[in-house]
Order: sequence, then structure tokens, then C-alpha cells
Amino acid sequence: MRLMIAEDSTLLREGLVRLLFEEGHEVLGAFGDADALLAEMALRRPDVVVLDIRMPPTHTDEGLRAALEIRDRWPETGVLVLSQHIERNYAAQLLASNAERVGYLLKDRVAQVEEFLDALERVQAGGAAIDPEVVRQLVIRTTHGDPLTRLTPRERSVLEALAQGHTNTAIAQKLHISLSSVEKNLNMIFEKLELSHTTGYSRRILAVLRYLES
Amino acid sequence: MQGDSAGITDHHMPGSLGQDDSSQGDAAKLPASWPRRCAGTFLGCITALPGFLYFLIVGTALGPFLLWPPTRTSALGILVAGARRLTTLERIRRAAFFGDRFPEHYEVSDQKILRYLAGHALAGLVSSVVVALLAFGVVLAGALMGGMLQGSLRWHNVLGQMVLGGVLLFLDLQGLYSLAELDARTARECFGPSEQELLRQRVHELAASRAAVVQAVDSERRRIERDLHDGIQQRLVALGMLLGRARRGRSPEQADTLLRQAHQESRNILAELREVTWRVYPSALDSLGLKEALGGVSERCSIPVRTEFDVTEELPQPVETAAYFIVSESVTNAAKHSRATTVSVRVVLHGRVLTVRIQDNGVGGADPTGSGLSGLRSRVAALDGVLRVDSPGGGPTTITADLPCA
Repeated sequence: MRLMIAEDSTLLREGLVRLLFEEGHEVLGAFGDADALLAEMALRRPDVVVLDIRMPPTHTDEGLRAALEIRDRWPETGVLVLSQHIERNYAAQLLASNAERVGYLLKDRVAQVEEFLDALERVQAGGAAIDPEVVRQLVIRTTHGDPLTRLTPRERSVLEALAQGHTNTAIAQKLHISLSSVEKNLNMIFEKLELSHTTGYSRRILAVLRYLES
Repeated sequence: MQGDSAGITDHHMPGSLGQDDSSQGDAAKLPASWPRRCAGTFLGCITALPGFLYFLIVGTALGPFLLWPPTRTSALGILVAGARRLTTLERIRRAAFFGDRFPEHYEVSDQKILRYLAGHALAGLVSSVVVALLAFGVVLAGALMGGMLQGSLRWHNVLGQMVLGGVLLFLDLQGLYSLAELDARTARECFGPSEQELLRQRVHELAASRAAVVQAVDSERRRIERDLHDGIQQRLVALGMLLGRARRGRSPEQADTLLRQAHQESRNILAELREVTWRVYPSALDSLGLKEALGGVSERCSIPVRTEFDVTEELPQPVETAAYFIVSESVTNAAKHSRATTVSVRVVLHGRVLTVRIQDNGVGGADPTGSGLSGLRSRVAALDGVLRVDSPGGGPTTITADLPCA
């Protein structure tokens, strides 16, 4: 996979470059701020861009704005945003148009190398990678007096995994259940949430997230 | 810089609020004894005459020029210049006999000067009349006494005269007292802020310092958050990444190298954490006191710091904390920005005021409105202290804080 990185902490940036290199990925460039990244993006097209939300000069939402711009100008490029905190608002903005080739992870997740690499793969493959913590918060927020309360604990965990962007196979592995029971659970969820059946898992995530946000 | 320090001095001035408060500064001067006050009042009657004559003669002479628009400004200038000289005399009189302490550099408008002099001349002349009446009364009383002793007066006549005299004496003294009060009030209005003004200023100042303190606390919090997020958190993530890479390492040697790096990184994190917590609040301040905490500051500073510590008494905790942060912030600034090669710190307790002075031999040009220094200023203002920053271009920079130990 060909990647570009924008992260202002040298320590993390170098760590990411090493890690990705060791995993056999090609890092086209690593930058300390969003402007340098965007300038390089105009010349070369990576598969996925990994970028920090808070970067110089203002350390507020440079990364997010750059991510939105990348999604706008180069929709075929995957964007994985790293955040210090859970910013539901930022996550929602990022997922607003569609939930394809997009990821929103807490920075701590990078330390869990497998999860991070897995998220990268999903984003590259055209899927989504939403931080479990973000999903959890979205679920918690909307559990007051809505159909979600009717979900069984198992269905809830399936829904969470789904919202994170996992495929059915991955969910089955993650929760140690059979693929058919994942499908059964999903059908129940869609029924309880009154969602029409759609194809393509990214659209399901979108539906789920949109629903959770409403 | 000069203007700035003057501003701070002004800012502190309301500390001498009203007359009661100024008495604690110089006990010998206040309150003035009543014979002294009487003498001052009588002298005031005498000095009213020059004032009156000044208006009469100079005012009349300048009259046509004052009325003619082209010459009005200069004529008024001459009139006011003379009036100012006369009011300076009044000021001295009030300070000498009544112990009034007026702010040194209080700017008085021309209009106020003229109004005061006119008011004083009038009050003084009326006072003279009242004093003359008093003297006349005394003479009459003497005559009455003489008549009584000679037996040429009947007792009921004497009684009638005494009642009448008593009432007149009361009215006379009352009038004299009121006139003296009027004189004092107009003087206060002219030479310095009135008590109400001082109070208003004080309230204003307190509101401002309260807002500044809140702001300083917020920016401190922001700094801590940045320290934690941009330092500790990033390092922890990097550590996690190293460990993750080690676990996925292709060969044992590679894993070993990564683990060693991770081990080193964990030590770096600990060091950084210690630094951050120390910057939030130096625990030595509680356990070992200001002197030791300041020692820590000079140890961690990249340039040599000479510390002179002359405090034998125990200091209030807020003062200690403020002194510590003033020193640590100023020393850090000096090491970071001033290109100084040495810094000297002096902490001295004079009476009830702790003076903290930090001087470097750097290039100067420190911005007293910058976030660091204004944060310190709020900290000092919250304790009713004064912070002076003297940092001319080319250096050296001197930062002085006077912290009252209430």
C-alpha cells in the first residue's frame, strides 16, 4: 500500500514510517503539517493518507479540514484521521457525505499495531474504520428512548462491530460466533432499526451511523 | 517600559485609599492634632487673601484679553499658571497642617485649579469674617465680665447676654467648622481623587485583576493540556508502537532492539512526566520550602543562575507560590529568549513586603504584554502586589515583583 503521513510529532511520525515500512508498505512522504501534505498530494497520489487532526499552526482542526479537502478533491484516496480525543462532531463531519475509504481512530489505537494496520487495510479496500470508542459513544448517546434499547447484548455488540467498519467475516471472528449467526443478528438489527436491506457494507455503516446520529 | 511601570504604580495607588489608610504609612503625620488643624485653618484665612487679590487684580487686568477670543487662550494660560503656583502653596499648607497626602503626579485640569482657588478664596474670606466675629465675641464677653465684676450689671441681664452669646458662639464655631470641611473637600477634589473615585478605581482594579486571574488559570490549564498531549501522550503512543513492532518482529534480534528502544522510551516518558508535574506545581514548595524549590529552578536551567535568598521569616503560602512562579517563569524566559549567559535572582523580605528580582545580562526587549509576563502580572495583582518589567532593547532585563505578605 502506498501511504502519506501528516503528523506534527516527530516521534510519532518516525514511528509510523518505520512501522509501515516494516510491514511492507511504501511511505511516499511524511509531513509535519497539512499544507505540506496537500502540496505533495497534488503531485502524487497515495492509496491512503494518515493524518493527525491537531497540527500546526493553530493545533485545532487542520488535519480534519485537510481530510475533507482530500475527500473532496481526490475521492479515490483513502483518509485515516488520527485524533487525540473523541470528537463526535469531527467524526460526523468526516462521515457526512459517505463512509467509504475513511477512518477515524483515536491516536492510542496506533499503539495497537494490529488494529491500526487492520483499519488501514479496510480504508484502502474502500471501507470504513471507526474507532470503537467513537461508536460506543454514539451508541450510548442514542440509547435513551429509541429502538436501540430493544437490541439484545449480542446484537448490540454486532452493531458496534458493524459500525466500526468490519465485514461480516471479521465480526464473526471478533465475536467468536459463526458467520450465519452474524447474518441472523444483522437481519434482526435491521428489522428492529427499521432499515431497508442494502448491499455493500460501507452503506450499512453509513446507515447505522446516520441512524445513531439522528 | 517607563510608561509601563508608571502605569503599575498608578494601579497600586488606590492602596492608599482615603485618609484612614494613608495613616498606616506614616504614623507621625496623621492624624494631625487639633491645635495644628486650627493653625492651618487660620492660615487658610490668611492665604485666601492673596487668592482673592489675585483674582481681583490679575483677573481684572486680564479681563479684556479673556473676553477677546484671539487672546483668550494665552490670557487664560497666564491666569492658570499663577493660580497653579498659589494652589501649590495651598497644597503644602494642607499637607503640613492637615496631613493630607495627595497623589504625586495627579494631573489637575485648568478648570479645577481655577475653581479650587476661587472656592478657597471665598471660603477663606468668609472664614475670616467668622473668625473676626469670634474675636469680636471674645471682646464682648470680656466687657461683659468686666461689667459683672464692677457690679454695674444685673444678674438677669448677665444671664440673657450669656445665653445669647452661647448661641452665637455655637453658630460661629459651627460655621468655622463647616468652612474648614468645605476647604478640605475642595482640596481633595482638586489635588487628588476623591474617596468615591478611589473606591471606583479600586473596584475597577479588582474586577480587572479577577478577570485576569481567571484568564491566567485558563491559559495555565491549556499549557498543561498541551504538555500532556503533545509530550506524554505522543511518547506513550510511540512506546506502544515500539512494543507492537517488537511483538510483530520478524527476527529475535529485531525484537530485542525494539524492546530495548521501548525500555529507553519508557524512561524518557517518566522523565517527561516528572517535568510536567513539576511545572504544574513544584512539590518541593510544600515539603522543602521556597528556597529549595528555587534551587530546583536553577538546577534545571540551562544557564547559570545566582540565587540570593534573604528571608528568615515564614512566608504565606500564596506569596511563596507566586514568588516561585515569578522566578521560574522569568528564568525560563531568560534562558529561552534573552540570549543571556547568566541570571541573578534576589529574594528579600523587607518588613511585610517580599521583593523578588530577576536580572539577566541578555539582549532585553521583553514584551510586558506577552502571555507569560501578563500571566505573572495577574498572579501578582491577585495578591495586591506590583510587577515591574524593565527590559530596554539591548538589555539587560530586570523583573521586580513586590509581594505584600498580608
